[in-house]
Amino acid sequence: MKHILLAGAAALALSAGMAGAASDLAGEQITVFGPWLGPDQENVEAVLAAFAEASGADVRYVGSDSFEQQILVDTEAGSAANVSVFPQPGLAADLASRGFLTPLADGTADWVRENYAAGQSWVDLGTYAGPDGADDLYGFFYKVDVKSLVWYVPENFEDAGYDVPESMEELIALSDQIVADGGTPWCIGLGSGGATGWPATDWVEDLLLRTQPPEVYDGWVNNEIPFNDPRIVAAIDEFGVFARNDAYVAGGAGAVASTDFRDSPKGLFSSPPQCYLHRQASFIPAFFPEGTVVGEDADFFYFPAFAEQDLGKPVLGAGTVWAITNDSAGAQALIEFLKTTEANEIWMARKGFLTPHLGVDTSVFGDPTLQKMNDILLNATTFRFDGSDLMPGGIGAGAFWTGMVDYAGGKSAQDVADEIQAAWDALK
Amino acid sequence: MDIAGKKSSLTWAVHISVLLLVALWLFPTLGLLVSSFRTADQISTSGWWASMFPTQQNLTLRAGAPELQVFEDGLYVIEGALFEPDSGKEISRWGISSRAYDAYAPGEIVPLNKGGEITLGAGGQYRMSNAEPFTGSRGQRIFVTVTSPPEFTLRNYQNVLFDPSNREGMAKAFLNTLTVTIPATIIPILIAAFAAYALAWMEFPGRALLIAAIVGLLVVPLQLALIPLLKLHNEIGIGKGYLGAWLAHTGFGLPLAIYLLRNYMVGLPRDIIENARVDGATEFQIFTKIILPLSFPALASFAIFQFLWTWNDLLVALVFLIDSTGETTVMTKQIVELLGTRGGNWEILATSAFVSIAVPLLVFFAMQKYLVRGLLAGSVK
Repeated sequence: MKHILLAGAAALALSAGMAGAASDLAGEQITVFGPWLGPDQENVEAVLAAFAEASGADVRYVGSDSFEQQILVDTEAGSAANVSVFPQPGLAADLASRGFLTPLADGTADWVRENYAAGQSWVDLGTYAGPDGADDLYGFFYKVDVKSLVWYVPENFEDAGYDVPESMEELIALSDQIVADGGTPWCIGLGSGGATGWPATDWVEDLLLRTQPPEVYDGWVNNEIPFNDPRIVAAIDEFGVFARNDAYVAGGAGAVASTDFRDSPKGLFSSPPQCYLHRQASFIPAFFPEGTVVGEDADFFYFPAFAEQDLGKPVLGAGTVWAITNDSAGAQALIEFLKTTEANEIWMARKGFLTPHLGVDTSVFGDPTLQKMNDILLNATTFRFDGSDLMPGGIGAGAFWTGMVDYAGGKSAQDVADEIQAAWDALK
Repeated sequence: MDIAGKKSSLTWAVHISVLLLVALWLFPTLGLLVSSFRTADQISTSGWWASMFPTQQNLTLRAGAPELQVFEDGLYVIEGALFEPDSGKEISRWGISSRAYDAYAPGEIVPLNKGGEITLGAGGQYRMSNAEPFTGSRGQRIFVTVTSPPEFTLRNYQNVLFDPSNREGMAKAFLNTLTVTIPATIIPILIAAFAAYALAWMEFPGRALLIAAIVGLLVVPLQLALIPLLKLHNEIGIGKGYLGAWLAHTGFGLPLAIYLLRNYMVGLPRDIIENARVDGATEFQIFTKIILPLSFPALASFAIFQFLWTWNDLLVALVFLIDSTGETTVMTKQIVELLGTRGGNWEILATSAFVSIAVPLLVFFAMQKYLVRGLLAGSVK
């Protein structure tokens, strides 16, 4: 009997040894807190499950719609998860300066520079001042999104004889054409639980990049150009051209603020179509009706620039930052795992995932549209990171959101911008 | 004689407003209950009040993909059915373009844009034929206007309560909520009953001041204490968990509990208590043998209050209970997250909401006579 036990133990030890050198994490619990729920939660859990299998650790993911609020409570009280996934680098920078984040292992910055496309910019976006004022790499970018996309149903365009517009003027003309044909061009929804309003900030950023040179955008993001500058107010009003026009938006302008952003694309697929166009980032196919084949049932085109403004082809993007909020060997190992091509390819094979990782095998993408997204990225004359995500948390994950909800509700752009600037002044 | 007439007209007004109020409160609940037994398709096309009647829906469906075509009698043919047989659904109009989604009647033979023709029967059987092979990878879109018979299903409840693979399910959260709620109701009542007796019937210096302090505590907003208290919990090693949530609920519930129970106990007849004292009863005996049985309505009504608060609580659970393992999530938190991800899936929302309100409803109906008596606690002497 004892022999059998011993033999069993030896076999166990052997198989554990074969499972990989990292299996010293066996039994350790690693908690991950992020903003993803629903289909995206399943995706991230698939990635974490692969890590759990490789390392033997017990990995738990919890998602929340109110990530931005909950993370503050948890870090402040010292009960945060091991690793937190920030949708906004600005919020991560806030927490880093208050000493709630742990700098990533030495050498991570060099790794990112070497293995990510435009590596230096990803390092810069993840480098924040710590509590002592010294700069360190705190954030690791995993999963990026292209935001300047307009989604549509090609068959609906075919039925109605519409063409994909090449310029903003054409896009507006197409919208008018759809209205004239008795349809509704746009589905816009700003609802997102505690983060309600963020889809509108993307609109404003995209339109600012299309009406002003990128220097204005950069100045606006770090508030050298105040929020209530006429150029910014004009960009907000440009968003109003679409969102505050009852004829342009499915359900009327009043429905914009109350429609959930995850529900709003469903109007593209209804019979008869509630709308023909939906501006949203590359992750949105995760919320299309079940069975939708991206590239055939639904497709996208680049949110075009004004032909008359000589500003090239600006592209807006974003990404999620993984940072260690409660240091442990497991947390370090998880960040290490995210560097592997395997970690990227698992999610690539699913939906709504882009990566700047140069080493991945692009043939594993779950849908064929990725090449097109890559082209949009490559053809960009200007690439800018989502501005609201770079602003301080109180603005980019606060006043800007609520301001845009107020704007969609009928407040004037000037009043909204004044209020956001006042909130920003109060933070300084 | 006048008075009697006036009274009757007033009674009518009272009855009508009571009826209106009852309707106002009952309809949303009834709507939730009905919706929780309907399918997603049905909810999106008609209101719950129309659930007993057939509904008309516009659907976008696809015929079989070109790879399913067969070659017969010189024609390439794709045949199939859009619905399960015997589904009872009946197509009234159909179309093959999103611009003309109701152009044709069932049985019409219609040319396809890319050559060939298609026909669709009222029961959903379609047949596409073409001299050339069909190409592409997706089936032809068919827009149908279909009348579906009323349909009720238990699948929502099965999904929400009994599907272990559903991470948005309610079963675990339901047990967790019970785990929070029951101790969080019993502990404060136990403590408050003792404290209330002492404050009502035991003479000691500073008693009035102590009562004033407790009344003062009633107005302290609990939000003030959230983060400092959580820090304290972390420092003394409780961390986030059930114990912390029980303590927090107890602390936040005690001022009202003591105040309510003390006011009730003060109103009990002094003679009984003095008689007991004269007969040599100890304070503890007076408390357990006389005060507790007499205070039952007040205890029960506070228990109902506290139970409902803790059952419906989200804030305290988020701060003190739900840790990053996700093992201790409660129903309110589940529902809040559902609102985000499943904002349009009313069948899931309604079912989850009904699971969540079922227990409070039971508690309320079982104990409502005490609630009314207890509401008067201390107000009438």
